[in-house]
Amino acid sequence: MNDFSELENELRNLRPAQPSPILFDRIEAALAASRAGASPYRQPRKRSGLPYNWFSLGFGLAAAAVLVLFAAISLERRQERREKIAQISPAPETKPVSAPRRDGSRVQGSTFSDRFIPAGATQVVYNTRDEGLQFARGSEQPLRRLRYQTHQTWQWRNPTTGASLRVSYPSEEVVLIPVSGQ
Amino acid sequence: MRTWQRLGYKDREKVMDNIASHEDWKSCFCEIAPGLLLFARQWVQSAADAEDVVQEAFVKFWRRNHNIANRALLYAAVRSIALDFIRRDKRRARREASAFAEADPAIEPQFEWEDETQSALAAAVGSLPHDQREVLVLKIWNELTFNEIAGALGISQNTAASRYRYALANLKKSLQPQ
Repeated sequence: MNDFSELENELRNLRPAQPSPILFDRIEAALAASRAGASPYRQPRKRSGLPYNWFSLGFGLAAAAVLVLFAAISLERRQERREKIAQISPAPETKPVSAPRRDGSRVQGSTFSDRFIPAGATQVVYNTRDEGLQFARGSEQPLRRLRYQTHQTWQWRNPTTGASLRVSYPSEEVVLIPVSGQ
Repeated sequence: MRTWQRLGYKDREKVMDNIASHEDWKSCFCEIAPGLLLFARQWVQSAADAEDVVQEAFVKFWRRNHNIANRALLYAAVRSIALDFIRRDKRRARREASAFAEADPAIEPQFEWEDETQSALAAAVGSLPHDQREVLVLKIWNELTFNEIAGALGISQNTAASRYRYALANLKKSLQPQ
Protein backbone atom coordinates (compact mmCIF):
# COMPACT_ATOMS: atom_id res chain seq x y z
CA MET A 1 0.00 0.00 0.00
CA ASN A 2 2.94 2.32 0.67
CA ASP A 3 3.68 2.36 -3.03
CA PHE A 4 0.53 4.31 -3.57
CA SER A 5 0.77 6.80 -0.72
CA GLU A 6 2.05 9.58 -2.96
CA LEU A 7 -0.70 8.93 -5.47
CA GLU A 8 -3.30 8.88 -2.71
CA ASN A 9 -2.10 12.27 -1.50
CA GLU A 10 -2.33 13.66 -5.01
CA LEU A 11 -5.84 12.32 -5.29
CA ARG A 12 -6.85 13.88 -1.97
CA ASN A 13 -5.57 17.23 -3.20
CA LEU A 14 -7.96 16.96 -6.11
CA ARG A 15 -11.12 18.65 -4.91
CA PRO A 16 -14.52 17.45 -6.05
CA ALA A 17 -16.86 20.00 -7.59
CA GLN A 18 -18.82 21.92 -4.99
CA PRO A 19 -22.60 21.72 -4.82
CA SER A 20 -24.59 24.68 -5.99
CA PRO A 21 -26.05 26.93 -3.27
CA ILE A 22 -29.50 26.12 -4.62
CA LEU A 23 -29.10 22.55 -3.44
CA PHE A 24 -29.12 23.69 0.18
CA ASP A 25 -32.29 25.68 -0.40
CA ARG A 26 -33.93 22.74 -2.09
CA ILE A 27 -33.08 20.37 0.74
CA GLU A 28 -34.26 22.90 3.27
CA ALA A 29 -37.55 23.25 1.42
CA ALA A 30 -37.96 19.48 1.17
CA LEU A 31 -37.31 19.01 4.88
CA ALA A 32 -39.68 21.85 5.71
CA ALA A 33 -42.33 20.29 3.49
CA SER A 34 -41.95 16.97 5.25
CA ARG A 35 -42.26 18.77 8.56
CA ALA A 36 -45.41 20.59 7.44
CA GLY A 37 -47.15 17.31 6.77
CA ALA A 38 -49.72 15.83 9.08
CA SER A 39 -47.12 13.65 10.69
CA PRO A 40 -43.71 15.26 10.72
CA TYR A 41 -41.98 11.96 11.16
CA ARG A 42 -43.11 8.76 9.72
CA GLN A 43 -43.50 6.63 12.74
CA PRO A 44 -42.52 3.05 12.11
CA ARG A 45 -45.56 0.86 11.91
CA LYS A 46 -46.12 -1.27 14.90
CA ARG A 47 -45.88 -4.85 13.90
CA SER A 48 -48.09 -6.17 16.62
CA GLY A 49 -50.82 -8.39 15.29
CA LEU A 50 -52.07 -8.06 11.78
CA PRO A 51 -51.08 -5.09 9.67
CA TYR A 52 -53.73 -2.51 8.87
CA ASN A 53 -54.24 -3.73 5.31
CA TRP A 54 -55.14 -7.20 6.46
CA PHE A 55 -57.77 -5.82 8.80
CA SER A 56 -59.40 -3.78 6.06
CA LEU A 57 -59.25 -6.73 3.71
CA GLY A 58 -60.85 -8.94 6.34
CA PHE A 59 -63.63 -6.46 7.00
CA GLY A 60 -64.23 -6.03 3.31
CA LEU A 61 -64.48 -9.76 2.73
CA ALA A 62 -66.81 -10.19 5.72
CA ALA A 63 -69.07 -7.41 4.45
CA ALA A 64 -69.11 -8.93 0.98
CA ALA A 65 -69.98 -12.35 2.43
CA VAL A 66 -72.88 -10.89 4.41
CA LEU A 67 -74.20 -9.13 1.33
CA VAL A 68 -74.01 -12.27 -0.75
CA LEU A 69 -75.81 -14.17 2.01
CA PHE A 70 -78.57 -11.58 2.17
CA ALA A 71 -78.93 -11.59 -1.59
CA ALA A 72 -79.08 -15.38 -1.71
CA ILE A 73 -81.73 -15.57 1.05
CA SER A 74 -83.75 -12.83 -0.57
CA LEU A 75 -83.68 -14.54 -3.94
CA GLU A 76 -84.62 -17.88 -2.43
CA ARG A 77 -87.59 -16.39 -0.60
CA ARG A 78 -88.84 -14.67 -3.71
CA GLN A 79 -88.49 -17.88 -5.64
CA GLU A 80 -90.51 -19.78 -3.01
CA ARG A 81 -93.18 -17.09 -3.02
CA ARG A 82 -93.55 -17.29 -6.77
CA GLU A 83 -93.83 -21.05 -6.66
CA LYS A 84 -96.57 -20.78 -4.05
CA ILE A 85 -98.41 -18.23 -6.10
CA ALA A 86 -98.08 -20.39 -9.13
CA GLN A 87 -99.40 -23.40 -7.23
CA ILE A 88 -102.42 -21.71 -5.63
CA SER A 89 -103.44 -19.55 -8.52
CA PRO A 90 -105.99 -21.13 -10.84
CA ALA A 91 -104.46 -22.34 -14.01
CA PRO A 92 -105.21 -20.07 -16.87
CA GLU A 93 -107.81 -21.42 -19.12
CA THR A 94 -107.57 -20.80 -22.73
CA LYS A 95 -110.55 -20.70 -24.87
CA PRO A 96 -110.00 -22.09 -28.27
CA VAL A 97 -110.67 -19.63 -30.96
CA SER A 98 -112.82 -21.18 -33.59
CA ALA A 99 -112.36 -20.10 -37.07
CA PRO A 100 -115.45 -18.41 -38.48
CA ARG A 101 -117.11 -20.14 -41.31
CA ARG A 102 -118.08 -18.50 -44.50
CA ASP A 103 -121.68 -18.49 -43.47
CA GLY A 104 -120.84 -16.61 -40.26
CA SER A 105 -121.35 -19.50 -37.86
CA ARG A 106 -118.50 -20.82 -35.75
CA VAL A 107 -117.20 -24.31 -35.18
CA GLN A 108 -118.83 -25.67 -32.11
CA GLY A 109 -116.88 -26.64 -28.99
CA SER A 110 -113.47 -28.24 -29.14
CA THR A 111 -113.08 -31.75 -27.88
CA PHE A 112 -109.51 -31.02 -26.69
CA SER A 113 -108.83 -30.29 -23.08
CA ASP A 114 -107.90 -26.64 -22.97
CA ARG A 115 -106.38 -26.45 -19.51
CA PHE A 116 -102.82 -25.16 -19.20
CA ILE A 117 -101.01 -25.79 -15.98
CA PRO A 118 -97.85 -24.04 -14.74
CA ALA A 119 -94.84 -26.07 -15.76
CA GLY A 120 -91.98 -23.96 -14.51
CA ALA A 121 -90.59 -20.59 -13.66
CA THR A 122 -87.00 -19.51 -13.84
CA GLN A 123 -85.32 -16.35 -12.83
CA VAL A 124 -81.75 -15.72 -13.94
CA VAL A 125 -79.95 -12.90 -12.17
CA TYR A 126 -77.38 -11.64 -14.59
CA ASN A 127 -76.37 -8.48 -12.84
CA THR A 128 -76.33 -7.26 -9.24
CA ARG A 129 -75.38 -3.74 -8.38
CA ASP A 130 -74.79 -2.34 -4.94
CA GLU A 131 -76.08 1.23 -5.00
CA GLY A 132 -74.82 2.06 -1.54
CA LEU A 133 -76.47 3.03 1.69
CA GLN A 134 -79.50 5.26 1.97
CA PHE A 135 -81.86 6.41 4.67
CA ALA A 136 -85.55 5.88 4.24
CA ARG A 137 -87.90 8.62 5.37
CA GLY A 138 -88.48 8.53 9.07
CA SER A 139 -85.97 5.77 9.59
CA GLU A 140 -82.64 6.19 11.28
CA GLN A 141 -81.42 2.81 10.22
CA PRO A 142 -79.51 2.82 6.96
CA LEU A 143 -80.64 0.60 4.17
CA ARG A 144 -78.45 -0.96 1.55
CA ARG A 145 -79.91 -0.59 -1.90
CA LEU A 146 -79.28 -3.52 -4.22
CA ARG A 147 -80.45 -3.58 -7.81
CA TYR A 148 -80.92 -6.96 -9.50
CA GLN A 149 -81.31 -7.29 -13.22
CA THR A 150 -82.95 -10.58 -14.04
CA HIS A 151 -84.49 -12.48 -16.85
CA GLN A 152 -87.68 -14.31 -15.90
CA THR A 153 -89.31 -17.13 -17.78
CA TRP A 154 -92.74 -18.59 -17.03
CA GLN A 155 -93.95 -21.75 -18.65
CA TRP A 156 -97.34 -23.47 -18.88
CA ARG A 157 -98.11 -26.80 -20.41
CA ASN A 158 -101.20 -28.52 -21.58
CA PRO A 159 -100.85 -32.11 -20.40
CA THR A 160 -103.43 -33.36 -22.80
CA THR A 161 -102.13 -31.90 -25.98
CA GLY A 162 -98.53 -31.36 -24.95
CA ALA A 163 -98.75 -27.77 -26.05
CA SER A 164 -96.67 -25.36 -24.05
CA LEU A 165 -96.71 -21.66 -23.51
CA ARG A 166 -93.64 -19.75 -22.51
CA VAL A 167 -93.30 -16.11 -21.56
CA SER A 168 -89.91 -14.50 -21.05
CA TYR A 169 -89.17 -10.97 -20.11
CA PRO A 170 -86.38 -8.96 -18.50
CA SER A 171 -87.00 -7.46 -15.13
CA GLU A 172 -85.29 -5.24 -12.67
CA GLU A 173 -85.73 -5.29 -8.94
CA VAL A 174 -84.52 -3.00 -6.21
CA VAL A 175 -84.09 -4.53 -2.78
CA LEU A 176 -83.51 -2.55 0.40
CA ILE A 177 -81.68 -4.46 3.09
CA PRO A 178 -81.49 -3.01 6.60
CA VAL A 179 -77.95 -2.59 7.81
CA SER A 180 -77.32 -2.94 11.49
CA GLY A 181 -74.91 -0.43 12.91
CA GLN A 182 -73.61 -2.75 15.63
CA MET B 1 -11.11 12.82 11.75
CA ARG B 2 -14.39 14.37 10.90
CA THR B 3 -17.10 14.65 13.43
CA TRP B 4 -19.78 12.39 12.08
CA GLN B 5 -21.86 12.33 15.22
CA ARG B 6 -25.33 13.57 14.64
CA LEU B 7 -26.76 15.54 17.50
CA GLY B 8 -27.81 13.04 20.06
CA TYR B 9 -31.41 14.12 20.50
CA LYS B 10 -33.74 11.39 21.44
CA ASP B 11 -36.78 13.57 21.34
CA ARG B 12 -38.09 13.75 17.78
CA GLU B 13 -39.60 17.18 18.23
CA LYS B 14 -36.27 18.53 19.37
CA VAL B 15 -34.64 17.05 16.31
CA MET B 16 -37.23 18.67 14.09
CA ASP B 17 -36.77 21.99 15.83
CA ASN B 18 -33.10 21.64 15.24
CA ILE B 19 -33.67 20.99 11.57
CA ALA B 20 -35.80 24.09 11.45
CA SER B 21 -32.97 26.10 12.92
CA HIS B 22 -30.72 24.92 10.06
CA GLU B 23 -27.91 24.03 12.41
CA ASP B 24 -27.90 20.27 12.36
CA TRP B 25 -28.46 19.08 8.83
CA LYS B 26 -26.55 21.91 7.20
CA SER B 27 -23.44 21.29 9.22
CA CYS B 28 -23.58 17.60 8.35
CA PHE B 29 -24.40 18.16 4.73
CA CYS B 30 -21.73 20.81 4.16
CA GLU B 31 -19.09 18.31 5.06
CA ILE B 32 -20.29 15.42 3.00
CA ALA B 33 -21.96 17.15 0.05
CA PRO B 34 -18.97 17.32 -2.36
CA GLY B 35 -18.15 13.66 -1.81
CA LEU B 36 -21.78 12.63 -2.10
CA LEU B 37 -22.15 14.55 -5.34
CA LEU B 38 -18.99 13.03 -6.74
CA PHE B 39 -20.29 9.59 -5.81
CA ALA B 40 -23.61 10.30 -7.51
CA ARG B 41 -21.78 11.55 -10.60
CA GLN B 42 -20.44 8.03 -11.12
CA TRP B 43 -23.88 7.15 -12.51
CA VAL B 44 -25.46 10.32 -13.81
CA GLN B 45 -24.15 12.58 -16.53
CA SER B 46 -24.73 16.06 -15.25
CA ALA B 47 -24.10 17.86 -11.98
CA ALA B 48 -27.77 18.85 -11.87
CA ASP B 49 -28.88 15.24 -12.03
CA ALA B 50 -26.36 14.35 -9.34
CA GLU B 51 -27.79 17.08 -7.12
CA ASP B 52 -31.28 15.69 -7.67
CA VAL B 53 -30.10 12.26 -6.61
CA VAL B 54 -28.24 13.54 -3.57
CA GLN B 55 -31.15 15.70 -2.49
CA GLU B 56 -33.60 12.82 -2.65
CA ALA B 57 -31.26 10.48 -0.82
CA PHE B 58 -30.29 12.92 1.90
CA VAL B 59 -33.83 14.09 2.58
CA LYS B 60 -35.05 10.50 2.77
CA PHE B 61 -32.15 9.57 5.02
CA TRP B 62 -32.61 12.53 7.31
CA ARG B 63 -36.36 12.30 7.51
CA ARG B 64 -36.14 8.71 8.67
CA ASN B 65 -33.85 9.89 11.41
CA HIS B 66 -31.03 7.51 10.59
CA ASN B 67 -27.80 8.05 12.39
CA ILE B 68 -25.44 10.03 10.19
CA ALA B 69 -22.64 7.89 11.52
CA ASN B 70 -24.15 5.08 9.46
CA ARG B 71 -22.55 6.41 6.32
CA ALA B 72 -22.80 3.13 4.43
CA LEU B 73 -26.58 3.46 4.54
CA LEU B 74 -26.49 7.00 3.19
CA TYR B 75 -24.22 6.07 0.29
CA ALA B 76 -26.26 2.98 -0.42
CA ALA B 77 -29.32 5.24 -0.63
CA VAL B 78 -27.53 7.54 -3.08
CA ARG B 79 -26.53 4.55 -5.19
CA SER B 80 -30.02 3.08 -5.17
CA ILE B 81 -31.67 6.36 -6.12
CA ALA B 82 -29.06 6.97 -8.82
CA LEU B 83 -29.77 3.56 -10.33
CA ASP B 84 -33.50 4.30 -10.31
CA PHE B 85 -32.70 7.62 -11.92
CA ILE B 86 -30.76 5.88 -14.67
CA ARG B 87 -33.70 3.58 -15.41
CA ARG B 88 -36.04 6.54 -15.68
CA ASP B 89 -33.47 8.53 -17.60
CA LYS B 90 -32.97 5.78 -20.17
CA ARG B 91 -36.61 5.97 -21.15
CA ARG B 92 -36.41 9.73 -21.32
CA ALA B 93 -33.16 9.59 -23.26
CA ARG B 94 -34.71 7.36 -25.89
CA ARG B 95 -37.48 9.89 -26.37
CA GLU B 96 -35.10 12.81 -26.56
CA ALA B 97 -32.36 11.08 -28.52
CA SER B 98 -33.45 12.47 -31.83
CA ALA B 99 -33.75 16.00 -30.48
CA PHE B 100 -30.23 16.04 -29.09
CA ALA B 101 -28.56 13.82 -31.66
CA GLU B 102 -26.63 16.62 -33.28
CA ALA B 103 -25.69 18.47 -30.10
CA ASP B 104 -22.35 17.80 -28.44
CA PRO B 105 -22.80 16.43 -24.96
CA ALA B 106 -21.44 18.94 -22.48
CA ILE B 107 -19.43 16.92 -20.01
CA GLU B 108 -19.28 18.81 -16.76
CA PRO B 109 -16.11 18.35 -14.76
CA GLN B 110 -16.32 16.30 -11.59
CA PHE B 111 -13.30 17.98 -10.05
CA GLU B 112 -11.93 21.45 -9.59
CA TRP B 113 -8.36 21.17 -10.79
CA GLU B 114 -5.73 23.86 -10.49
CA ASP B 115 -3.11 22.74 -12.99
CA GLU B 116 -2.47 20.35 -15.83
CA THR B 117 -1.26 17.63 -13.49
CA GLN B 118 -4.53 17.61 -11.61
CA SER B 119 -6.43 17.78 -14.88
CA ALA B 120 -4.61 14.66 -16.09
CA LEU B 121 -5.26 12.96 -12.78
CA ALA B 122 -8.98 13.77 -13.01
CA ALA B 123 -9.07 12.41 -16.54
CA ALA B 124 -7.30 9.25 -15.41
CA VAL B 125 -9.85 8.77 -12.64
CA GLY B 126 -12.63 9.22 -15.16
CA SER B 127 -11.19 6.51 -17.38
CA LEU B 128 -11.09 3.89 -14.62
CA PRO B 129 -13.49 0.94 -14.78
CA HIS B 130 -16.70 1.78 -13.03
CA ASP B 131 -16.43 -0.72 -10.19
CA GLN B 132 -12.92 0.50 -9.33
CA ARG B 133 -13.84 4.14 -9.64
CA GLU B 134 -16.77 3.97 -7.24
CA VAL B 135 -14.59 2.33 -4.58
CA LEU B 136 -11.89 4.94 -5.13
CA VAL B 137 -14.41 7.77 -4.83
CA LEU B 138 -15.79 6.38 -1.60
CA LYS B 139 -12.34 5.80 -0.15
CA ILE B 140 -10.50 8.98 -1.16
CA TRP B 141 -13.13 11.69 -1.27
CA ASN B 142 -15.66 10.30 1.17
CA GLU B 143 -13.23 8.73 3.63
CA LEU B 144 -15.22 5.57 4.08
CA THR B 145 -13.54 2.51 5.52
CA PHE B 146 -13.46 -0.68 3.47
CA ASN B 147 -16.07 -2.07 5.80
CA GLU B 148 -18.37 0.86 5.08
CA ILE B 149 -17.65 0.67 1.35
CA ALA B 150 -18.56 -3.00 1.43
CA GLY B 151 -21.85 -2.14 3.14
CA ALA B 152 -22.68 0.65 0.72
CA LEU B 153 -21.95 -1.32 -2.44
CA GLY B 154 -23.12 -4.72 -1.26
CA ILE B 155 -19.75 -6.37 -1.78
CA SER B 156 -17.28 -8.02 0.55
CA GLN B 157 -14.62 -6.05 2.34
CA ASN B 158 -11.87 -7.93 0.49
CA THR B 159 -13.45 -7.13 -2.85
CA ALA B 160 -13.63 -3.46 -1.91
CA ALA B 161 -9.97 -3.45 -0.90
CA SER B 162 -8.81 -5.25 -4.02
CA ARG B 163 -10.83 -2.95 -6.28
CA TYR B 164 -9.19 -0.01 -4.57
CA ARG B 165 -5.73 -1.43 -5.13
CA TYR B 166 -6.52 -2.14 -8.78
CA ALA B 167 -7.79 1.41 -9.18
CA LEU B 168 -4.57 2.87 -7.76
CA ALA B 169 -2.45 0.57 -9.87
CA ASN B 170 -4.33 1.50 -13.00
CA LEU B 171 -4.02 5.18 -12.18
CA LYS B 172 -0.31 4.92 -11.60
CA LYS B 173 0.10 3.06 -14.85
CA SER B 174 -1.87 5.58 -16.85
CA LEU B 175 -0.04 8.54 -15.33
CA GLN B 176 3.44 7.18 -16.04
CA PRO B 177 5.25 8.96 -18.87
CA GLN B 178 5.13 6.91 -22.04
